[in-house]
Amino acid sequence: MAMNLTRRNFLKAASIAAASVPLSKVAAKAESGVVKAPLVAQGSFKDTQTAVGGVCEMCFWRCQLVGKIRDGRLIKLEGNPKSIDNGESICARGNAGVKLLYDPDRLKYPLKNVGKRGAPKWQRISWEEALDTCASKLKAVQEKYGSKGIAMFPHGSTASYPMNFFEHTVGTPNVSEASFFQCRGIRDTAYLATIGMPPGENVDMPNTKVMLLIGDHFGENIHVSHMKRYLKGLENGAKLIVVDPRYSASAAKSDIWIQIKPGTDTAFLLAIMNYLIQNEKYNADFVDEYGEGFDEMAEGIQEWTLEKAAKVCDIQASQIKEVAELLAANMPNVAIHPGRHVSWYGNDFQRQRALACLTGILGAFGVKGGFVPPKGPKGLAKVKWPSGDEEAEAIHHEEDIYPFSPPGTPTDLIRNAAIEGEPYPIKGCVVWGQNPIQTIPNQPMTIKMLEQMDFVMCVDVMPTDITMYADILLPDTSYLERYDYIKTGTQWNFADEQQQYIAPRMPLVAPGFERKESIYITNEIAKRMGYGDKIPVQTQEEMINKRLAPLNLSIESIRAEDGIHLQPGQDPYGDLELDIVFSSEDLEDYDFPAIPTYIPVEEPPAGFMRLLYGRSPVHTFNRTMNNAWLLAECDSNPVWVNDKLAAKLGLKEGDTVSFVNQDGVKSRTNTTVKVTPGIRQDCVYMYHGFGTMNKEMTLGHDKGVDDTSLITKLAVDPETGAHGMRNNFVKLIKVS
Amino acid sequence: MQYGMIIDVDKCVGCHACVIACKAEWEVPAQYDRNWVFRLGPSLTSSGMAATYYPGLCNHCENPPCVPVCPADPVEMTFKDAKTGKTVTMEVGATWKDPFNGTVQVDHERCIGCGACRDACPYNARYVNEDLADDNSLGKVDKCTYCMPRVAEGLEPACVQTCLARARIFGDLDDPNSEVAQYVKKGAVGLTSKAVQIGPNGRYYGSKKGDMELLMQAAPQEMPEVALRRSVLTKMSLAAKKQVKELGMLGLAGGLLVKSLQKDDE
Repeated sequence: MAMNLTRRNFLKAASIAAASVPLSKVAAKAESGVVKAPLVAQGSFKDTQTAVGGVCEMCFWRCQLVGKIRDGRLIKLEGNPKSIDNGESICARGNAGVKLLYDPDRLKYPLKNVGKRGAPKWQRISWEEALDTCASKLKAVQEKYGSKGIAMFPHGSTASYPMNFFEHTVGTPNVSEASFFQCRGIRDTAYLATIGMPPGENVDMPNTKVMLLIGDHFGENIHVSHMKRYLKGLENGAKLIVVDPRYSASAAKSDIWIQIKPGTDTAFLLAIMNYLIQNEKYNADFVDEYGEGFDEMAEGIQEWTLEKAAKVCDIQASQIKEVAELLAANMPNVAIHPGRHVSWYGNDFQRQRALACLTGILGAFGVKGGFVPPKGPKGLAKVKWPSGDEEAEAIHHEEDIYPFSPPGTPTDLIRNAAIEGEPYPIKGCVVWGQNPIQTIPNQPMTIKMLEQMDFVMCVDVMPTDITMYADILLPDTSYLERYDYIKTGTQWNFADEQQQYIAPRMPLVAPGFERKESIYITNEIAKRMGYGDKIPVQTQEEMINKRLAPLNLSIESIRAEDGIHLQPGQDPYGDLELDIVFSSEDLEDYDFPAIPTYIPVEEPPAGFMRLLYGRSPVHTFNRTMNNAWLLAECDSNPVWVNDKLAAKLGLKEGDTVSFVNQDGVKSRTNTTVKVTPGIRQDCVYMYHGFGTMNKEMTLGHDKGVDDTSLITKLAVDPETGAHGMRNNFVKLIKVS
Repeated sequence: MQYGMIIDVDKCVGCHACVIACKAEWEVPAQYDRNWVFRLGPSLTSSGMAATYYPGLCNHCENPPCVPVCPADPVEMTFKDAKTGKTVTMEVGATWKDPFNGTVQVDHERCIGCGACRDACPYNARYVNEDLADDNSLGKVDKCTYCMPRVAEGLEPACVQTCLARARIFGDLDDPNSEVAQYVKKGAVGLTSKAVQIGPNGRYYGSKKGDMELLMQAAPQEMPEVALRRSVLTKMSLAAKKQVKELGMLGLAGGLLVKSLQKDDE
């Protein structure tokens, strides 16, 4: 019947009519999946092919995946059944990777900004023009200001190859990774200074008797195999101690919840150590054998009685004693978790040192249930860009500050140099997968830095806040469309058969539109900048095969093994050769405290609350904010307000509020209030990563409040130069 | 046999993977859910501070109120027991409770999209997907099927497969040796209340009193009042739509008119 114009037929007709609109729009439509669903969905298991070799990057944990493909289209992601890490499980974000892949707002073509930075107007250009422009602009900066005139902000596995190029071959020290300077760098360097190695999250939770978490909020923070280890520990009867001003997801599963005053964790840890030492309840044999400077530390922390710490931490002395006794009764099989995001208060190096020292006095290194690094596969080759002609010292090394910094340069030093032109100008900016607008505190300064650049280029999968400031914006392939990273490790539970795995990331689908991966982009820029002869590999496949070659493995051999190569592993326990530096001469030489020391942090001004932030289980910050499935689960970041405080402020559950911080900076958007007894009155809490301002994220922009916009004051950790971000204070303004 | 789902909230970490895996598996539109995770608390309970999760889905109830309200023309349907091969023939609307495996299912072909079953469910487990409207319906109702098509292939339900915590356990509640039955023995309970006692086969287990208190507070406290009005109106408007279409000329405009009439009704 000719006039039987049902909705379905109408859609069909509409798509024919759409042939007259620009090609890009039609193609975008096709990709966004406007395909009429059958009345009954088929399910992912019927008439599909299974593509192996996926390695997730919805976050950095990198679970191993398979893809279910129908008619060339990825319809579902699942954990790779062969995985001894995540198994068939993946988290909400992992499951939602399909929606990132086909997000209609994804970057598709090289773009040139013909508007202004921050208020871009995009013009589609050819790759040839884009690469020529990037190379010539960066070359011009390099010729005028030297290589150090180029700054780079990388993130994720896509950025490691170009980062290596800019650092080694071009030769700029001005590279700053948010994962170090605004996240875990302090943890890594503090443990390095104490036990000689970065700790990862290597505590043997499945086989422990006690877990101690300081601020870790597992459940809100989801990494699959890490969660499996945590849950196995609980199932096996481990006691859980959670130290957090907030009744977090982990606190809800805890045996002991310490509702500590923010910023005082080190005092708490010192009091535990002092109590254990004073009462001779520490592992003296272990300390004698592996410890350095134990007596100095024991003497130096004597002032930290239970009562003193209780007062500082605003908790009961009996609770500290209870924790200390529980640890003593179960040592050495206790898991003192090193944490991950630890850039909190500017006194964080000391807290991380204290955690490592506490692990030491309990003898909890290398033993069942303690700190135990996995023995993963060894022997992968390294592929590196060779050193270039230029070498420059990082600013902080030249100025002899932050001697315990992680690799790269503290972000604010780069920013200050760019804005002030001192010690030298920085005029070229390469952003690769990072969103510095939402990673670095004080957005106006970051924007100022960008505005004074001669050239800004961004490479990303999605538009983000920072891409608004690009002159040239390049579309990256997603983690589902490229080779680029080799995930290695062991089975998640050390009590199981010892195995190792090697899982190189393989594409599950071909890249769409004109997206290119980072080896191509980097090489093409390198050639045009005159570094063609230094290119270490031509293609992503060559990179992976070169790295696998020493193990007699290849992409093809591992694909034939369903994407994961398994081999026998080793017992991870015992023979951990390390010294525990309780009192450090190195630190003393630089005029830092030789022993872990509590440094008080700034108190909230009257009427203000400390702004705390954390993870949503369904988002990886701004990166997932435009994901239709994830946004449907969580599209805002309600602010947690203590119930008594809320009553005082006249706020009710669900009220809409905005914020103003101690510097008078107001939030651009609003959120709602979550009233709960599960948070202290001196702080408020919200998820990080919301309130993105780029309207090109058509679903995700302006959802919730951007906590980073309210973090204007830096608390720089004096040892590392990393940024504490929890010394900012806010007032809530009722909107409705 | 009665299929059921255990949710062990001691294990659940609230990651929402179950929701998204289901969306991918069954192409559930972003704005709808066949299952959900609500965070409960932190609140003060009679046993102190507590916080937990309410991962919900269709409970495939013993006495499903969604089934008898379906106004679709009944047809005879023959059900077969997968184990014994025994068959039963009965008259069903567009939604029914399977006499052998105890699941509640929907026939999308015959569903008229009136939403009566959706409104009848105290757990809000159903939605009407208006994008699937056709000549004979305003859309199609949809909900959790306990992944029967997957189970038939020997697979776990999608939400169970992806659960990192193994907090979801699926199986036959009538089999005393099954893990789900063991959980019930251990104290797993359905989310019922004084007014809502329809025999949910989703059961919740938690060893912390406070968690269970929060969960029971999240249980529906009253049965929805379902008037026949919605189904009657739907039938009328579908008839009107057909008539308009038979007029031929009006086409799309006629459809829009009917739609606006329906809006007025609401």
